[in-house]
Amino acid sequence: MEKHHYIAVVFLLAGGILSAIASKDFLSMRDADILHPSQFVTTTGMLSDYLPEIKGTYGDTKVYYFNSGNPGATVILLGGTHPNEPAGFIAAAVLVENAQVTKGRLIVIPQSCASGFTATDPLEACPTHFTINTQSGPRTFRYGARGGNPLHQWPDPLVYRHYPSGQQLSGMESRNLNRSYPGRVDGSFMERNGFAIVQLIKKENVDVAFDLHEAAPEVMIINAIITHEKGSDIAANAVLNLEFEDLQYSLEISPKNFHGLSHREWGDSTMTFAFLMETSNPSQGRLRGVTSEALVVEGNDPFYKTASKLDNVRITYDSSGEPLSLRVARHLQGFKRLVESYNEAHPENSAIIENIPEYNAVVSDGVGKYLK
Amino acid sequence: MPIELIILFSMLIVFAGGVFWLKLPSGVAMAAASFIGALVGGHGIPVRHLIEGTFGYLDAVLIISTAMIFMKVVEATGALGTISYGMIKSLYRSPSLLMILVAFFVMFPGMLTGLSSACILTTGALVAPALIGMGMPAVSVGAFIAVMAVLGMIAPPINIPVMIIGGGVDMPYVGFEKPLIFLTFPLAIVTALYYRFRFIKKIDVNEVLGKLPQSVYDKHGIKLFIPIFIVVGLMIGVRFAPDGIPDFGIPLIFMIGAVVGLKTGEKVDAVKVSRSAIRESLPVLGILVGVGMFVQVMTLTGVRGYLALSALQLPPELLYPGIALIMPAMGSAYAASSVIGVPILFVFLGRNEIVVTSALSLIAGLGDLMPPPSLLCVFAAQILGIKNHFTILRAAVIPIIIALLFSILTIVYAADIGSFLQ
Repeated sequence: MEKHHYIAVVFLLAGGILSAIASKDFLSMRDADILHPSQFVTTTGMLSDYLPEIKGTYGDTKVYYFNSGNPGATVILLGGTHPNEPAGFIAAAVLVENAQVTKGRLIVIPQSCASGFTATDPLEACPTHFTINTQSGPRTFRYGARGGNPLHQWPDPLVYRHYPSGQQLSGMESRNLNRSYPGRVDGSFMERNGFAIVQLIKKENVDVAFDLHEAAPEVMIINAIITHEKGSDIAANAVLNLEFEDLQYSLEISPKNFHGLSHREWGDSTMTFAFLMETSNPSQGRLRGVTSEALVVEGNDPFYKTASKLDNVRITYDSSGEPLSLRVARHLQGFKRLVESYNEAHPENSAIIENIPEYNAVVSDGVGKYLK
Repeated sequence: MPIELIILFSMLIVFAGGVFWLKLPSGVAMAAASFIGALVGGHGIPVRHLIEGTFGYLDAVLIISTAMIFMKVVEATGALGTISYGMIKSLYRSPSLLMILVAFFVMFPGMLTGLSSACILTTGALVAPALIGMGMPAVSVGAFIAVMAVLGMIAPPINIPVMIIGGGVDMPYVGFEKPLIFLTFPLAIVTALYYRFRFIKKIDVNEVLGKLPQSVYDKHGIKLFIPIFIVVGLMIGVRFAPDGIPDFGIPLIFMIGAVVGLKTGEKVDAVKVSRSAIRESLPVLGILVGVGMFVQVMTLTGVRGYLALSALQLPPELLYPGIALIMPAMGSAYAASSVIGVPILFVFLGRNEIVVTSALSLIAGLGDLMPPPSLLCVFAAQILGIKNHFTILRAAVIPIIIALLFSILTIVYAADIGSFLQ
């Protein structure tokens, strides 16, 4: 062998060893997060119950049902549509582990984009997991990618054409569950997932639907409730009630010409009142400093602290930080007030959901107290 | 000095030292810089991040590998030489018109795919021999096609940086055609004329044609161009007839074209051509892998955020020059669009956002020319056989400055331009 052959062997070995070490981290993301459902969860199912074509795929995900046995409205809540927006997933987990429904039904899908929980986005340097101190000790949850895992849908087209509107988006959006609605059964992996969720909403006659999100602090729709125009009165009433509690939420109506999003397509293609909520997550932001697990959980970022003082751009970031507990608390409180607002508008077909932790309690105690 | 700047300087010093003193390949120097950046940032050796970063440009790696195989096949069949020969023979009397037509020809694949590298690796590679034959130095040819590749990526109908910025602010990709034409077509003509009057004096057609490979059109006829028709046809078809033509993805499209090309012209040794294509591509692929690590470590350590925040903190009098310098300095159109384009758009709310976004996308697009990756310069160097790709960047400085000035003026007068274009 010549010298360059030895060099090649050394580089190959080094590459192999580094890849083996890294693969341990990558493979750990296939281990499912464990939730401890409340005693009031009546049944659990899978999303594939509504679309058998996704059974056994990474698109399939757990669905938790709270059936009060008393007639009333059916409410659904989706967390984890974007697995890099953990407040949505954790808020859904808190409901699964605590809620009690005394009238109507509640359906919760904590990890709506199950595929996205198995990967992180290259170049974003996000942690694979984050830890919350809970009643039973530290619990670790996955921090995933914005879209589905490329191993499950690849390659991205250069341009994603939304079905059925034909709207064009950048290719990476083809793996975004919240651009896939209403989806289609013979479409891409993500279009099938979107289709399955719409089928669930239709078959279960869901009256009120929630999709929990987070966004970078520089995005305009932070701390917002976005609704299909059908739900504008319900949302306006809820926003008013939240203001009485000193919680500011802006009310946005779903743009009619921006397709694929849950609030637009669920509202258009089903009977449900659709709501999407956003909180401010600095670990997603473009201006963030060091990307770490601490940033995900504690939400303290010196760069956003500086940016929030700038006059030329609106940054929604509290200078004391945007901890996960506060973001989860906002989601839970917004959810509670929106359901109440729906009940006021539809007393003949209401849903009563109890044991949802109060905003102040979650903020002061930390969300871990409400996880088993 | 902020720790982020110390990290950035450490990475740049290691990269420069690796390339210039130790004569390491750029990709290896970037990997070394990433290791050092992570260490200086207090992250130890974050193996997972370093490996994950290498996947950041996986799609680009596949596109370049397959495009190089396709181009080598097309060259070996004689199609490449035949096109250059025919182009000069029919248009040598009007060099200005020739250059303008060549400019739009190079831009064409980028306009349809939204991918700048497609311009260099397909139409750019087709016209390069003809331009060199007409007297342009190879580095200037590289600069010309690299700038046209940026303009092709930005020109309508497909502009991915606009889609990325739009995705960040929930703005649909509607109504961008006129502003994008306004931005790119005049620049394409000006750039073409700049290179024409600078380098192409008088063409002695017989001398030029004598230096080029001879046309084999008479021997093979239209069959010679079938691989090119297939590649361009599939790229266009999937955009305009998405229900009729499946989206194979760009790498597979190039491979289909390459396989078809084996039987459409001069005899081609498939194994030899493929090996040569991959061997020649390896330095570029190494750079892409290294850049992925580099960017991942910049993000991990907060350097990326520091640069984005710096752009927003610029005082009003420095805002425009700051945008013109910092956005392209992200070294990638997509990164510049996402990291800087989205927050900076909020600064200009109240002007015509469609015009502002279009102009920002052009500035972001110039990032594909800039170091550390200098992706388009690397591609151009690859197809032209130039060792130092930075010479291509140097030869493109004047058109880059013109494009930056035009973009900035477009942002300043966005409201008026928007009204004018309605």
